[in-house]
Amino acid sequence: MPNRLVALIDLFIRRTGEAIAWLTLAMVFTTFAVVVLRYGLEIGSIALQESVLYMHGCVFLLGAAYTLQLDGHVRVDILYRHMSERQRAVVDLLGTLLFLLPMCGFIAWIGWDYVLQAWRIREGSGEAGGLAYVYVLKTLLPVCTVLLALQGVAEALRAIGRLLGTPAAAAPLK
Amino acid sequence: MTAYLSLYLFAAVCLVLLAGYPVAFSLGGTALLFAAAGTVAGHFDMAFLHALPSRLYGILTNQTLVAVPLFVFMGVMLEKSRVAENLLDSMALIFGRMRGGLGISITLVGMLLAASTGIVGATVVTMGLLSLPTMLKRGYDPGLAAGTICATGTLGQIIPPSIALVLLGDVLSSAYQQAQLKLGVFSPDTISVGDLFVGALLPGLALVALYATYVTVIAWWRPERAPAMTHEDLATVMGDRHILSLLLSGLLPPLGLIVAVLGSILMGYATPTEAAGVGAFGATLLAVGRRELTLARLQDVLRQTTRVTSMVFLILIGATIFSLVFRGFGGEELIHALFEQLPGGAMGAMFVVMVVIFLLGFILDFIEITFVVVPIVGPVLLAMGLDPVWLGVMIALNLQTSFLTPPFGFALFYLRGVAPPEISTGAIYRGVVPFIVIQLCMLGILATWPTLATWLPGVIYGK
Repeated sequence: MPNRLVALIDLFIRRTGEAIAWLTLAMVFTTFAVVVLRYGLEIGSIALQESVLYMHGCVFLLGAAYTLQLDGHVRVDILYRHMSERQRAVVDLLGTLLFLLPMCGFIAWIGWDYVLQAWRIREGSGEAGGLAYVYVLKTLLPVCTVLLALQGVAEALRAIGRLLGTPAAAAPLK
Repeated sequence: MTAYLSLYLFAAVCLVLLAGYPVAFSLGGTALLFAAAGTVAGHFDMAFLHALPSRLYGILTNQTLVAVPLFVFMGVMLEKSRVAENLLDSMALIFGRMRGGLGISITLVGMLLAASTGIVGATVVTMGLLSLPTMLKRGYDPGLAAGTICATGTLGQIIPPSIALVLLGDVLSSAYQQAQLKLGVFSPDTISVGDLFVGALLPGLALVALYATYVTVIAWWRPERAPAMTHEDLATVMGDRHILSLLLSGLLPPLGLIVAVLGSILMGYATPTEAAGVGAFGATLLAVGRRELTLARLQDVLRQTTRVTSMVFLILIGATIFSLVFRGFGGEELIHALFEQLPGGAMGAMFVVMVVIFLLGFILDFIEITFVVVPIVGPVLLAMGLDPVWLGVMIALNLQTSFLTPPFGFALFYLRGVAPPEISTGAIYRGVVPFIVIQLCMLGILATWPTLATWLPGVIYGK
C-alpha cells in the first residue's frame, strides 16, 4: 500500500514538474518578444512583461516538489556525504517531519486569509495595462505548499522504507 | 539570556544545516520551531510572522530576480550544446603553442562560461571534466592543473553577469534603502544589479590577469610543469578542420553572445532581465545552429533550469522566514549594538563581517550567505557609510576565496569529485595555495583602493 502511494505521488509530481519545465522556454521567448517590441517597435507591453513574471512564479513554486523528488534542493553535504544509508534515511525522515511539513503547513495557514482576501476582491495588477489575475498568482503559494507536502509524505515513506530495509518505491531515477 | 536568543537561533541553524537536510527547509523549519517555542515561553510575538505572505508575494513579483531562470537557462543551454568543449579547443589552438598556453586558455574559457552560469559547483565540475584530463595528458603538473581549474571555476561569481551578483545586487539594493531610511534620508539613492555588474568588472578582470600571469610565470620558470602542446597534439585537436573554420564556429559565436549580453547591460541598453532573456534566446539559436539541439536535450535543459531555479527561490523563501524570526527575537538591534561597540568604526565592523563571511563560506554556499547574512549585516554596514557597490564586490571576492580554501572550500570538494584518483588531495591543496594568495592580494588591493570597484559605475552611470 505505501509503495503504491509513493509511486503514485512520484508519478503525479513528476508529470507536473515536466509540464511546468516548458514554461522556462516560454519565458525565454516571451522576454525576447518584450525586448524586440520595446527596442525594435517601441511598443511597451506591461501585460506581456507580467506574463513572464507569472510563468516565473509557476516555475519555481510548482517546480519545488519536482525538485525535491529529484534531490535538487541543495544540501550542506560535508557530513551527509560520508553517512551510511541508514543515517541518511534518518536525516531525511526527521528533516521532512520537523522542517518540511511544518513549514508547508505554516505558509498555507498564515497565507490563508491573504489569498482569500485577494480572491474576494478578484485582485488585479497595480499597474495600468497589467494582468488582472493577481489572485491567481497569490494562489500559487498554497498550491506550492500542497505539492511540496505531498512529495514530503512520499519522501518520508521512502525514508522509513530505507530504515526498515524494505525500500518503498526506490528513489526515482534522475 | 533571552537577549541572545537570536544568536542561538543562528547557531542552531548552522548546526542543523550540517546534518545535510536541504537548506531551504532547514532554514525555514528551524526558525519556525524557535518561533513556536518562543511564543509558548512568551519571548516571541507571532505578529512578526504576519508579514510573511506579503514578503513571499514580494519575491514572486520581483522583476530583477526573473533574470535568474533566464541566466540559468542560458548557462545550461551553452553547457549541454557542447559550446564549452568547442570553445576550449579553439582557445587551445590560439594559445596552445606557447608554454603555459593551455592553462591560460582554461582561465579564459572559465571566465567566459562562468560569467554565464555563475554557479560554482557546476563550473568547477564542467571545467574539471573537460580540461583536467587534457592538462594531465599534456604533462601539466597535477597541482597546477587542479589549482587553475578550481580558481577559474570560482571566478564565475565575480565576473558579470553571474547569478550570484544578480542575487547579491538585489539584496544589497534593499539593504541600502533600509540603511538610508534609518539615517533619515527619505529620497534615497538606489543601487541596481547593473551597478554591481559594472563594479565587479574591473576587479574580476584583474583577477583573470593575475591568474594568467601566475601560469605564465610558472611556465617560464619551471617549463616542465606547464609544457607547450606538441604539433601532434595540435593536429589531433584540429582534426581535418581548417583552423579558420574552427575559430569561426567555436570561438566567435559564444564570445559574441556573451559580449552582447554583457555589453547591453553595461551600456544601459537593457535591464539584466532583458539581457538574460536575449542571451538565453541566443544560446538556443546557437545550439540549433550547431545541430546539437535534439528534443531530449531541450527537455533536459528545461528541466534542469526548473530545478536550479526552484532550488534558488526556495532557499530565498526559507531565508525570508528565518530573517523574520531573527528580527522577532531582536536580532537586528543586537547586531547593531555589537557593531557599535567594535573598535575601528566602519572599517572594524567591515573586517569582522568579512572574517565571519569567510568562515561561513566553509559551510554555506553563495546563495545562502546572500539571503541569510547580507540582509542582517548589510543595512548596518551601509548605515555606517560604506559604499554598497564596494561592499558587494568585497563580499563576492571574499566568498570566492573562502570556496578555494582547504580543507572546507566547496570548489575543492567538487574538483575532488571529478578528479582521477591518481591526483592526491594534497596535490589539489598545494596547487590552490598560490591562487589563494592571489585572491588575498586582490582583497587587500580592493580594500585599500575602493575606487577599483566604484570608479567604473561612476563613469558609466554618472553617479
